[in-house]
Amino acid sequence: MIFLLILSFTISAKDTPDDAGGSITINVYNIPEGTEQIELYRLTKGDTLFEEVGLIPIFKGELDDATVTDGVLYLYKATALTPDTVYVAEIKEFASSSPEWFNKSRTSVLLFIALFWVVILVYIQLAKKNPEGLFIRKLPPLEAMDEAVGRATEMGKPVLYVPGIEYITDAGTLASITILAKVGRKVAEYETRIINPHFDPIVMTTAQETLKNAFSEAGRPDAFNKDDVFYLTSEQFGFAAGVDGIMLRERPGAIFLQGYFYAESLILAETGYSIGAIQIAGTNATTQLPFFVAACDYVLLGEEMFAASAYISKEPRLLGSIKGSDLAKSVLLVLIGVGVIFGTFAAIKNVAGNPVYMEIFDRILEFLARTAE
Amino acid sequence: MSISTSIWVWIAALLTLMIYSFLYKENPFYRLAEHIFMGLSIGYSVVILWYNYILPRIYEPLFFPPHQWSLIFPILIGMMTFGIFSEKYNWLIKYPLAVYVAGYAGVQIPLQLQTMILRQAEASFLTPDKFTSLFSSFNALLIFAGLVTTLIYFYFSAKREHGLGGASQVGIIFIMIAFGAAFGYTVMARISLLIGRMQFLLQDWLGIM
Amino acid sequence: MKKRVPLLITFITGFIIIVSFFVPHRPFGQLETETLIWYAIIFAFTLVIGVDSLVRLHIKHIRKRKKGWWYSIVFFAGFFYCLTIGIISLIQTPNIFQPGTVFFYGYETILIPLQATMFALLAFFVASASYRAFRARNIEATLLLIAAVIVMIGRVPAGYKLWPKLPVIANWIFDVLQIGAMRGILIGVALGAVAMSLRLILGIERTYLS
Repeated sequence: MIFLLILSFTISAKDTPDDAGGSITINVYNIPEGTEQIELYRLTKGDTLFEEVGLIPIFKGELDDATVTDGVLYLYKATALTPDTVYVAEIKEFASSSPEWFNKSRTSVLLFIALFWVVILVYIQLAKKNPEGLFIRKLPPLEAMDEAVGRATEMGKPVLYVPGIEYITDAGTLASITILAKVGRKVAEYETRIINPHFDPIVMTTAQETLKNAFSEAGRPDAFNKDDVFYLTSEQFGFAAGVDGIMLRERPGAIFLQGYFYAESLILAETGYSIGAIQIAGTNATTQLPFFVAACDYVLLGEEMFAASAYISKEPRLLGSIKGSDLAKSVLLVLIGVGVIFGTFAAIKNVAGNPVYMEIFDRILEFLARTAE
Repeated sequence: MSISTSIWVWIAALLTLMIYSFLYKENPFYRLAEHIFMGLSIGYSVVILWYNYILPRIYEPLFFPPHQWSLIFPILIGMMTFGIFSEKYNWLIKYPLAVYVAGYAGVQIPLQLQTMILRQAEASFLTPDKFTSLFSSFNALLIFAGLVTTLIYFYFSAKREHGLGGASQVGIIFIMIAFGAAFGYTVMARISLLIGRMQFLLQDWLGIM
Repeated sequence: MKKRVPLLITFITGFIIIVSFFVPHRPFGQLETETLIWYAIIFAFTLVIGVDSLVRLHIKHIRKRKKGWWYSIVFFAGFFYCLTIGIISLIQTPNIFQPGTVFFYGYETILIPLQATMFALLAFFVASASYRAFRARNIEATLLLIAAVIVMIGRVPAGYKLWPKLPVIANWIFDVLQIGAMRGILIGVALGAVAMSLRLILGIERTYLS
């Protein structure tokens, strides 16, 4: 075999960017035609022998050597094997790895968070200064809640509140707890019974405390029955079977399905419909919204649920944050709008033979794509 | 083929029928199946608790080398949840709750921005390749209109006057069509689930198919 | 003390986790994986609370001979059945989920069919919900219905036989007409979740600590 050191097949090694260290990225260029495999070798400074690192995928021409120690210097060599020749490429200078303090590829996420944070804080301040100046549009499902509790009371039937099947960490579950507080106060006022089955034990304990407080606020702490707030099971369809059983036996007059749901959403909503209950649903599970819309009387659609939880409290600070979210939407709309105009413009210009605009547009897209990685 | 002789197939078949009996009305059979289901699933979670959590995550890392003593902290935090068993100390649960909720909130903020908001925005950019024909241009603009009006529908802090009212009306039209499409898309998948159960009853159990 | 300290913990924990998203350097970069291990342990304790709550409730039903109390005995039968086969399997083998173990068999033959049966109920409910939508109450429900029917029929062979253009229209609805709204809803939900998380970390939203 002949060993050839030719210029065209080259290799580069650099510290892997945006990582916690312990990795060097190796690239090979101008891979000779007919290459069957590229082997990578490494020489640690102070040693005399190269050790094999592994194979560089030919289609990619890149490999992260994640077996290095930070601060240690390495020399890399790659060999491309074709049926009749072995090509060798070697880097000239030692390379080393180090951890980074900032992940540059996530800059735009940081910018958005900072912007969002500032906007929300500003609006909260404004809301505190002038609470009347804040307008939040009415949400019909929210308005209907009191009426639903009232109707159940008139019929002498209990109210059923299902907080979904996610954990307390889900934003929808948290919004549901706030809505539960509102429903609970009404239930206490009307001296009705509320049944509240749970999928997660922690959500259950939180709901118990929330309802207990709601009953106290309504001046009827003794009416609260802790046994009506209970854990069923953390098994999706077991939970659905249990709630269905409760619906059929207790025949609630009003059913609240508020929180994150999965496929069981329609099982619950249709059973609720079959017993003639007034149903108010709300979920941040976008896949289940169609089923709730088809089967329930009122539905809080996605983001409306979060807005509702802020709306209920009527606290300026919470309302301020809704305003902040709206502004973020405007920013996104403008961004997308600019993208649309620019994209259309670039497309026309590109057809007309001026690729400069196209390039600017590609750059913007690249920036966003990097962010979304 | 003939009727199954396996007791397990019989149990599964009878439970299946008991569950379906509730479509007619609530009855003792459904209630029986419901409670069996509930008991089994709780028994199952106890086994899972032992097998997937206590053994590999607490017992082994703590009592076998290399001892991960730092795990004492989450164990202590976790034990605070038991505060709810006492009237006097039930406020203790607020500590694990705070750690738990805040941790996920911290994860959610950048994650939602990166994977949902920015990615959806990026996908909504009208790139030149979307304008290759008259029809594709029309489609691209339609998608864009759907997005803009839907976002306007979700404006909470502006009065629905002037253009906003009209735009959010268009928005709800797009939203309803989207819901309908998702609904229609799922129907066949749900029916095939039922076919699966029917196959079990007719084939595995009764052996008539 | 009982509320302020948890709020402080919320702020610090949330802030550190956000920072760790941007800082790959130790100790931040490893934080997310580390916290996941911690959370799994805390989660284990919460499961105990759930089991305790349910077991207590059923014992109460039996003790007080509440209406239908013997269903609680059925509950315990299922509970101990699953527990027993779990223990037997644990003694027999280190991997109880392996096919062939008593636990796997017991789970496979009873719990799975029960889950599948409940899941399959959706076929009936999708049908009844569609039927109801047929008597559409308003323009919005009508739109939902029309889109649903076209997509539903367009996706099965019968749709093509009915009218060859139907699958094309169904695909167009699915690939074009609904995309914009779905993106809008997703962006809205994500923004709402981000705002909610921010409110939590800042201690503005605190109902869950009530």
